[in-house]
Amino acid sequence: MKRFVTIVVLLVLIAAGVYAYRMYTGKVKSLEDADADATVTAIDLVAAFEKDSATANKQYLGKIVAVTGNIKSIEKESGSIVLGEEASMSSVRCSLDTNFVKKIAGLNLGNQITIKGACTGFNADELGLGSDVVLNRCVIPANKN
Amino acid sequence: MSIRLTVTFAFLIFAFISTAQDRFYTKSGNISFYSKAPLEDIEATHRSAVCVLDTKTGSLQFTMLIKGFEFENEEMQEHFNEDYLESNKYPKAEFKGQIVNNATVNYGRPGTYPVRVTGQLTIHGVTKEVQSAGTIKVEGSGLVATSSFTIPVADYNIKIPSLVKDKVAKTVKITVDTKLAPFK
Repeated sequence: MKRFVTIVVLLVLIAAGVYAYRMYTGKVKSLEDADADATVTAIDLVAAFEKDSATANKQYLGKIVAVTGNIKSIEKESGSIVLGEEASMSSVRCSLDTNFVKKIAGLNLGNQITIKGACTGFNADELGLGSDVVLNRCVIPANKN
Repeated sequence: MSIRLTVTFAFLIFAFISTAQDRFYTKSGNISFYSKAPLEDIEATHRSAVCVLDTKTGSLQFTMLIKGFEFENEEMQEHFNEDYLESNKYPKAEFKGQIVNNATVNYGRPGTYPVRVTGQLTIHGVTKEVQSAGTIKVEGSGLVATSSFTIPVADYNIKIPSLVKDKVAKTVKITVDTKLAPFK
């Protein structure tokens, strides 16, 4: 019995140690293998925030979202891809995970793409620059076909 | 056409051109913060800050989504959002200010100009007056704005639990380094 207690105590101590260690060294995980909480088109995502940002925040904020849309612009320097309708001022801005920035080279304007990222919120059009839904830590899932 | 009319016309065209290039902006601004602490340095970078500078008036605005700050450490990012900045309740940080010595910056001539900026910084729902020194670099068709300043965490009603009080610095250094492109 005594031996059993000792083992249990030891296990608890080890678990606590591992947990504490992970707490201080746990890197932010790549979203590459993470399942998307929501799948939506860029146009619908922008529309949801423009219509009612409080409801959209509840649905998307902090969630992993897979967004499909046409590539409107590519910003090589900042590693961002902008999705949405060419004619619209509103877009979905995807700030890429640094490991995926090099993939920008293989992308073409106007093409459809699906990008998975964490939704950080909505910048309403307060400065006359158009409104944007912003995703960060974005990854470009490999084509499954 | 009389000379007077020609001159007026020339001025009008000039005025039109200058309005067209008055505003510079970015939607992928780089803002980071750094806090030195005995246990562990706290550092995060934001790559999607929105910034607009009106070169005519010197008015300068930044806005950024708190959840957009990227940390190396996942636990830190969670604490930052949930416990300290409460980003669900206060999703944005904002700066509205002015380049005090805007007149000394020649936006038409490449070079690096020292600037002084003053304005209202809103973080965690609290607005405070801040002052900062920085530079505006005019290069090519765009600008590069840089600045660095320190703010006390307590100013913004950010509560640090007593358990980690000694491990977290009381001030945070904010660094802005961002390119701005002409608007349209």
